[in-house]
Amino acid sequence: MQLEWRGHYLDGKSAQRRGAVVQLQASGLRITLDDGALLDWPYAEIKQTQGAYAGEQVRLERGGEFAEALLIQDSDFLATLHRVAPNRAERFHNPADRPARLRATIVAGVVSIVALIALYLYGVPALATAVTPFVPVAWEEKLGAMVMDQMVQPEKQCNDPVLRKTIDEIVAKLTATVPNSPYKFRVYLVNDPTVNALAAPGGYIVIFRGLLEATRRPEELAGVLAHELQHVLKRHSTKLILQHVSTGVLMSAFFGDVSGLASFGLEAAQTLALLRYSRGHESEADAAGLKMLNAAGIDGSGIISFFEILQAKSGGEPGFLKYVSSHPDTQDRIARLKSLADQTEQAAARPLRYDWANVKKICAARSTR
Amino acid sequence: MAMELLTESSGVLQSAESRRFAFHGVGGTLFGIQIVNLFLSIVTLGIFSFWGRVKVRKYMMSQTEFEGDRFAYHGNGQELLIGWLKALVFVGVPLLILTFLSAGALAYLAVLAFMPIAVVSARRYRLSRSSWRNIRFSFRGRVWDFALLSVKGWFLSAVTFGIAYPVWQNWRQSYLVSHSHFGNQKFDYDGRGSELIWNFLLHLLLTIPALGINWFWYWARLQRYYWNHTRFGAARFSSQVSGGGLFGLMFVNLLLLLVTLGLAWSWVQVRNARYYLEHLTLDGALDVAAIMQDAQTASATGEALSGFFDLDFDLG
Repeated sequence: MQLEWRGHYLDGKSAQRRGAVVQLQASGLRITLDDGALLDWPYAEIKQTQGAYAGEQVRLERGGEFAEALLIQDSDFLATLHRVAPNRAERFHNPADRPARLRATIVAGVVSIVALIALYLYGVPALATAVTPFVPVAWEEKLGAMVMDQMVQPEKQCNDPVLRKTIDEIVAKLTATVPNSPYKFRVYLVNDPTVNALAAPGGYIVIFRGLLEATRRPEELAGVLAHELQHVLKRHSTKLILQHVSTGVLMSAFFGDVSGLASFGLEAAQTLALLRYSRGHESEADAAGLKMLNAAGIDGSGIISFFEILQAKSGGEPGFLKYVSSHPDTQDRIARLKSLADQTEQAAARPLRYDWANVKKICAARSTR
Repeated sequence: MAMELLTESSGVLQSAESRRFAFHGVGGTLFGIQIVNLFLSIVTLGIFSFWGRVKVRKYMMSQTEFEGDRFAYHGNGQELLIGWLKALVFVGVPLLILTFLSAGALAYLAVLAFMPIAVVSARRYRLSRSSWRNIRFSFRGRVWDFALLSVKGWFLSAVTFGIAYPVWQNWRQSYLVSHSHFGNQKFDYDGRGSELIWNFLLHLLLTIPALGINWFWYWARLQRYYWNHTRFGAARFSSQVSGGGLFGLMFVNLLLLLVTLGLAWSWVQVRNARYYLEHLTLDGALDVAAIMQDAQTASATGEALSGFFDLDFDLG
């Protein structure tokens, strides 16, 4: 058995390294430096700081903050140490444990990935659902205002008085059905060709010009508004942001990047447009929106016919885009809304009387001037 | 350019020695470390991540070789956790409150003020916990001096519409390098930065036609410039990092990350360290025996008292 090993000794005072012969003894290491000096290191006083991985230099330290160090290139040294002094060697890495460590690493990896997926799919949404009801409305309003700051530039807003009045009247009709709501609703019209609408926490709703122009009658816009109002009332967007932020915080905690922690709130606000509600939330807002329309005396078929427009639009897109956008969701939602509309008794709906063909073009007309 | 500097600086010396750096890390081992860290972080709700970070740094530094010896990292998880808590209480929470109070402008100002503090204290911490041949590095710059320099730099960049930005970058590098020590010996920096302006302007102009890819070449030039103007005693560093090499490195990294859905991150880190270090040399005479441990380094944490914000924490 080889008991003597060549290595290097560093005294912690100078950067000069000295050659050394290290002898493994029962109670400690005997180090003979090339200049003849003799050092005895009892095993109990030695700390191993490197050499736990294959191919890594073994580094042994002894002493306080600026310890002396002994460097040995060959990891057989450790295996021999465990044979020479098995009772005192538990403070040193044992290369014989490596296969077991590798197995443990693989298990840890698989468990981590499964745990992360479970956390993402179930844990975080459950947490967000539990916390959302306790978020004060004032906080929601702050959050919503932050989102609006990020997303709606003042110069891109349509503030035509006729359009403004039309939308405010429809919103007033709808919100009259929820007199006890704590929210003050604010609808923004953004001059952007996207066919989209979204709800931010605290009563903020954004309608894009593209969507306005895609509607054929005021009842269709009323349908979209009722749907978005329900997202606000049911705090879906608050929950979505909470979910996104807590995912970010967890990820940064697990992956060790804690510095970016504070920025997640702002980042979430910016990406609200990219976040998607779950199917459950969408159908909840659909159903409650339809009820709201009925209660407000607005023809609920508007929302259904608007979804049909959306479906027809996506049907016309070629190839890949068609695959992405013609997902079965829209079809399902139309079917569900139709059966809901059939089941409920429609109170006498009064048609909304606006010069719709002109109203819906106001935003575009004003922007070209 | 490196050759020219070499002969010039080695003229007075006995020999023109060139000492290489090397990196021996293996992606698989690093991946193993990181996956166990991830597991333990999940189990401990993230608290272990500080100790995990120490393990990664220890590994990366112990795989970095110079003159037959490896570097070492001496930090521990406990001090990282405490530093982070301090930073959270004194900086994170106030910033979050400012943001939430819609005092956005104030928050930006606070971040701006916080940047020099963060740069200096992070560097001070990192260097004080790094060693080669058991001799610690140290950073002896002061927050206040660096903050003044930053204000000067920002002002200069602003009034020249960004054209003088490389000059400020160079000031910054100069301050950070020339206040860094290894044991009782100091690093020196002799770059002036004005040579970089034309290069910077050229790359600004190229950004649109070259789709921004040209910045790899600028970044490589900057790295070479920084290192080639960095001296330690009679020896001078030299970096051979090239724009093409860097572009190839990043391109393959990107492919690796895309194909493996990010799992190749450990291999990417190893590839980066290897490329960077294996293109770095120290040329000229180096009197290793003359370098002594400097007792000053021991009081690195004590410096936290020198100012309320002078926290000894780490952003890396």
